[in-house]
Amino acid sequence: MLQSIVLSGLAIGSVYALIGVAYNVMYSASRVFSFTAGTLGMIGGILGSLFILRMGLPIWLGFVLALAGGALFGVVTEILAVRPVLKSLDQHLYVLSTLALALMTQQFAAIEWSTEPQPFPRIFDLPRGGFDQTFWLPMLACVVTIVGLELLYRHTLVGHAFLAIAEDNYAARALGLPERNLRIASFAIAGAIGALAGFAGGQLLLAFFANAPLLTFYGFVPVALGGMGNNRGAVAAGLILGLFQQAANFLVGGIFASVAVFAAFIFVLLAFPDGLAGPSTQRRV
Amino acid sequence: MTEIPETQPSPPRASFFGSGAFSHVLPFLILLAIGIALPLFAGGYWGVIAQRACVYWVLAAGLNLLVGFAGQLAIGWVALLTLGAYTSSVLATGNVLPPIHPYLALAVAGAVGAVFGVIVGLPALRLRTFYFAITTLGFATIVTQIALAWTSVTGGGVGVQGPVLPPPFDSQWGFYYFCFGIAAVCTWMTMNVAASRFGRALTAIRDAEVAAEASGISKPGLLVTVFLFSGAVAGVAGGLFASLQSYITPDAFTIELSVLFFIGILIGGRGSVLGPLLGTILLTVLPELAAPLVAWSTFLYATLLLVIVLAMPGGIADLLDFKNRRPLQSNRAIVPRPELLPRLLGEHRNSGKLTLEDVALNFGGVHAIDGLDLTINPGEVHGLIGPNGSGKTTTLNVISGYYAPQRGTAKLGGEVLPALARHTRAQMRIARTFQTPRLVGEASVLENVMIGGTIDGQGTFAESLISLPRHRRDEAMLRENATLALSIVGLERLAAVRTDRLQHSELRFVEIARALMLRPAFLLLDEPAAGLSAEEIRRLGALVVEIAKTGTGVLLVEHHADLIFDICHQVTVLNLGKKLAAGTPAEIRSHREVVNAYLGG
Amino acid sequence: MSMTRRQALTSASAAVLASGIAKPAIAQKSPIQIGYLPALTGPSSSTGVGINRGVQMAVEEINKAGGIDGRQIELISRDTQSDPTKAVNGAAELTRGHKVSVVFGPVNSGEAIPVVPLLAKANIPQLHPCWVDQLADAKKYPLCFRNGPTNQQIGGAANRYVVDVLKKKKVAIVSDTTGYGTASVNAYVPMLKQIGADVVYQAHVDAANPDLKPEILRMQAAGAEAIMPWSVNAGFLSRIINTRGQLAWDVPICGQTTLGSGQTKALLEKPEYWAKVYPNNFRPVCYGPDGKLPERTRAFVDKLRAAKIDMSDTLLWWIAVGYDTPYLIADAIKNSGPEAEKIVAHWNTLKDYPGIYGEYSFTPDEHNGYPDRQVVMVEANSLKDGAFNLAPGYGGA
Repeated sequence: MLQSIVLSGLAIGSVYALIGVAYNVMYSASRVFSFTAGTLGMIGGILGSLFILRMGLPIWLGFVLALAGGALFGVVTEILAVRPVLKSLDQHLYVLSTLALALMTQQFAAIEWSTEPQPFPRIFDLPRGGFDQTFWLPMLACVVTIVGLELLYRHTLVGHAFLAIAEDNYAARALGLPERNLRIASFAIAGAIGALAGFAGGQLLLAFFANAPLLTFYGFVPVALGGMGNNRGAVAAGLILGLFQQAANFLVGGIFASVAVFAAFIFVLLAFPDGLAGPSTQRRV
Repeated sequence: MTEIPETQPSPPRASFFGSGAFSHVLPFLILLAIGIALPLFAGGYWGVIAQRACVYWVLAAGLNLLVGFAGQLAIGWVALLTLGAYTSSVLATGNVLPPIHPYLALAVAGAVGAVFGVIVGLPALRLRTFYFAITTLGFATIVTQIALAWTSVTGGGVGVQGPVLPPPFDSQWGFYYFCFGIAAVCTWMTMNVAASRFGRALTAIRDAEVAAEASGISKPGLLVTVFLFSGAVAGVAGGLFASLQSYITPDAFTIELSVLFFIGILIGGRGSVLGPLLGTILLTVLPELAAPLVAWSTFLYATLLLVIVLAMPGGIADLLDFKNRRPLQSNRAIVPRPELLPRLLGEHRNSGKLTLEDVALNFGGVHAIDGLDLTINPGEVHGLIGPNGSGKTTTLNVISGYYAPQRGTAKLGGEVLPALARHTRAQMRIARTFQTPRLVGEASVLENVMIGGTIDGQGTFAESLISLPRHRRDEAMLRENATLALSIVGLERLAAVRTDRLQHSELRFVEIARALMLRPAFLLLDEPAAGLSAEEIRRLGALVVEIAKTGTGVLLVEHHADLIFDICHQVTVLNLGKKLAAGTPAEIRSHREVVNAYLGG
Repeated sequence: MSMTRRQALTSASAAVLASGIAKPAIAQKSPIQIGYLPALTGPSSSTGVGINRGVQMAVEEINKAGGIDGRQIELISRDTQSDPTKAVNGAAELTRGHKVSVVFGPVNSGEAIPVVPLLAKANIPQLHPCWVDQLADAKKYPLCFRNGPTNQQIGGAANRYVVDVLKKKKVAIVSDTTGYGTASVNAYVPMLKQIGADVVYQAHVDAANPDLKPEILRMQAAGAEAIMPWSVNAGFLSRIINTRGQLAWDVPICGQTTLGSGQTKALLEKPEYWAKVYPNNFRPVCYGPDGKLPERTRAFVDKLRAAKIDMSDTLLWWIAVGYDTPYLIADAIKNSGPEAEKIVAHWNTLKDYPGIYGEYSFTPDEHNGYPDRQVVMVEANSLKDGAFNLAPGYGGA
């Protein structure tokens, strides 16, 4: 039983962590937290099911297309909801524009896809049971993403440019970095990561429109607790959240589990407003 | 024509606080007349929709102060509606205790709402915008889950009956008038707050937080007051909602409903009362008119929100703001009238010297200031110059409490200025301006200046809420002083203009006028001449000299050496956080190192 | 061919728009307005969409046959969107904006809970198929009638089947965290105990929880011999069935009718997991031991086929209850008159009215019109055209 809780906790935690990473990648490029982060997860699940089960495409193609769909949505987010409000960042208009886009997408999915959860395909034709792909796929996706991002940031020129932007937007622009293109690229990457979360966690969460608000919230917890922009922190906090949630489900039941998760989140955040990893100073005057 | 600096809020907005002119009140009177006469021309069905619009507005009116004025993005405010609805229903039906009178139940719902408004709102004092938005959503979920689980009190999934009001408010139109009356009172109260120093302080917290602090506005105190009020009216709205629904279950309190309130306010326009009122009515009525589109209603709200944010950030209020569309005179000049200064600043103020003793501060190993001694005398203009990064602005920020020095102290008349207690500086009559003007772009020039005098008001928030005499006296006093201050800096003709329409140089003078509202013992000016024409710099200099003559000590941080040498009594030159030279302008002008370093000979 | 949810919605609203214009020749007498509050969109709309197919078909039939004494039925429809606030607005429009003679709906309990007292206050006769016990009370709401089972009947049938037929005494009962789910579990636990069962495990589970294995393992550890889930959430129900299958735990699952819906079926990992799953259903719309539907129902299904109404993505009883309602209303108006008191008086003496979904009877003191004997359990995996085989044990009856 403990093994089962740990397994599903880590699996669902990996999905939360990936959504948290998507939040972070968007944040690093634009200083914007986007309400569309969870929507990306929903898109990954629904597109995977749409392409593979409904349209009968090969699994690899469905996978690539689902990620491409997520990346495309990331770019659309950047163009429609982020870029126009970047110049007045301190007015927090991005909260509203990304919320609007998230609601629109979610409602569209509810009407055009289904208000009921739909099945998600098995990815690998392996016998079920034990340490099933349902559980290890999200974990694998999480590991691959983190390693991939580290390699990208550390060892490629583009990655260095990303880091420069994340460090100091204005300085980076002054250095002649194509800030806008890098931002679009970041949103595309974030979109693909979010869709990957939804795809890898598809067998767990199904292809369901209501996953969007769920993941938007639970995916933000790792960001807040892990420290914004801190991907390793997000992964650690995501896994802890998954374990905590499953344990709470088991110990106090469904109703109080969500109360416990929300309450714990609010209290921890009040105690450590800058995340458990510590503060980042900001010059204001 | 108008150049707006990047950090300034650019969206235009209608201004409904202010003069109380008839044209401001007219739309409300029209709505009032329509509301009273509604039964004459609308059927019972529209009566129910109107009840709903009134109930939603009661909540939104309070939330508007929080979202539209203070800029706190409380998306999950439905939590308070839920609490109010369950409190009044459970008490009125006697689920737990003996049943109590519905009016009393409604009042208790308001009280519970007030308390929980503070609890739900408190994270705003500690967390960033997006974080706060998410925590309010968390609260909304928690409240609904508890309502489900606590079956013995709330009836769980089967729900509980809403309070039934006694006659004459039990009939359809009776209940409508009850809701309408409460909505009208809420509208009146929020208009009063909007037109008070508290309303202006809220917009200052939203758009120019540092300026709000420098004007002595305590963000925690003010926000907690607004949480109390918003929570209370949301609780009352919850009680009315329960009566309207007749029976409530947790299913009725959806996040969609919360988003409706939130979007209604934002499409109405920030910092307005009329706009959000119209926005809330629109969102309540629209789905009833467009029945075939009903499935897409959330989609439509969201689209509306996106369009508003991108194309018309001022919302409905901006559409209705005809006054600020008239073009401004393009070749206007700023002509200060320093002779009026004694009328505003009054008798000689004596607070002793402002001194820094051995102050040191470093950021991550870099010495921003390294053992600085400085004395500013009352009635004296003290110039502070030095290259970029020499610690000028940092010095100013230590005095005004933004940074805590790691060593040494700042004193006023021998008393230590508490570090990091920024809002205490206004009480000590230390005023300041900012390198980049920090103003509320959507408020009028006069309102911005009035913000500077916030601490001189005597009335409480509650008095402003219901417009008691002390509130009206405060407003008259602030208005008079602000008009005077604007005359002094030469901008009185722009008093009614929205601030984001002004030119950059004018904004600098508005900031000085705001600072003068404090009747400052010491005035800290952070590069006031930046971006000004030669003529404007000359007038600025003359104005500063006259200010000092009234007894105010001025600390002038500047790059314009000419200005410094023209008007300063004392000059201190900084380099790498250390004092390089100090003395009269004449002494500095002949200081070899200084001349070599930047006066360039 | 198949009618999607959105087509159903458009056709419903089109029917409203068109009804005033169509058939001018017959419409000399003013039409009879019937209010209708289905949930055609939103999270709990599967039921409403199914019911709507039956309602539209019946109204069309009645109108084609000349209406009620020459008066056409005009269906005034408001989608409640599975949202109680929209349901209240809709009820206001029907009762105050229009002068409807009678209201059918809402079709979900969550929306009926506020609407029933409102219609009672407006003195409009109401017919609804919602299950929550409190929603029909001849004393409190003398104009409100229920043409469906109560939760007591639903739970009673499932409980009796588990305890008396399957002879399982140790029961695990779970629900999701919705209002319906929590209320059901809270009501059924004492009922189970009363008939001698031992409730060894009871819980409200978050329907979004992706992994129910710990939950099922705990039931197993508690010694449960049967699982009784109460939820309309297909995702939640399928996870219970799948987890039982993965653990190869051979206990029956007995409970909510959605256990047998096509939505649940689509989410099963293996078709064989659906064995030994017994959802609620209703005898008149079930295949008998001979594999055939009752006579009346068979004719009805033929009519549905002829009208090309899709049955594969819905349940037959949803369409049936929708189909019966306009006829129940037409019967009352035809025989007694369109005034509220006449409709109510007619229904108050209704005895064994032969519908497709069942035989309805009301008395002045009893407005729960659905007979106990018609609430049965069925075999989920026998789903065919929206109907099921009776569960083992009902054969002889």
